[in-house]
Amino acid sequence: MKPLLSACLLFALSPAIAPISAEPQSKDEVAKMTLKVGDKAPDFVLLSDQWKTVKLSDYQGKKNVFLAVYVLAFTGG
Amino acid sequence: MSMDSPAANAAFAKQINIKFPLLSDMNRKMLTAYGILKAYDVQGDNYKWALRANIVVDKDGIIRHIEGGDSAVDPNTAVSVCTDLHKKQTAK
Repeated sequence: MKPLLSACLLFALSPAIAPISAEPQSKDEVAKMTLKVGDKAPDFVLLSDQWKTVKLSDYQGKKNVFLAVYVLAFTGG
Repeated sequence: MSMDSPAANAAFAKQINIKFPLLSDMNRKMLTAYGILKAYDVQGDNYKWALRANIVVDKDGIIRHIEGGDSAVDPNTAVSVCTDLHKKQTAK
């Protein structure tokens, strides 16, 4: 049973390992950064880590907002 | 803000002990609207991930700072924009 279990585990892990083994090649950007300073920030509604909806326009007239976009959780980037 | 699920962001927030909300853009609507989605080729397959970016939006909903790419890993420029903005607003 043990060799079979190991084989299953390896199979389950392999798709996750494959992208890490290759250095991602950056291609052309899908959407270019067309927004610039002075533009109206497009509104959005997103779910927070507390499963609460957060709407950008809810902060209008109240607070400045700092949006930090990161590639993936648990990464330094 | 990232493409991660709220559950992954909750675990990440706990790990790095932060108190501000981490937002999920799983359907990439915000990332597309802001032009910060980037295509990557991994072994012949195309993946689209968020570009590292810092954006400062003032109280009127106007963008006061926007940067993407490697320079955005350092938040200091965006932080100083926030500080200046706050100074100007409180001086009024």
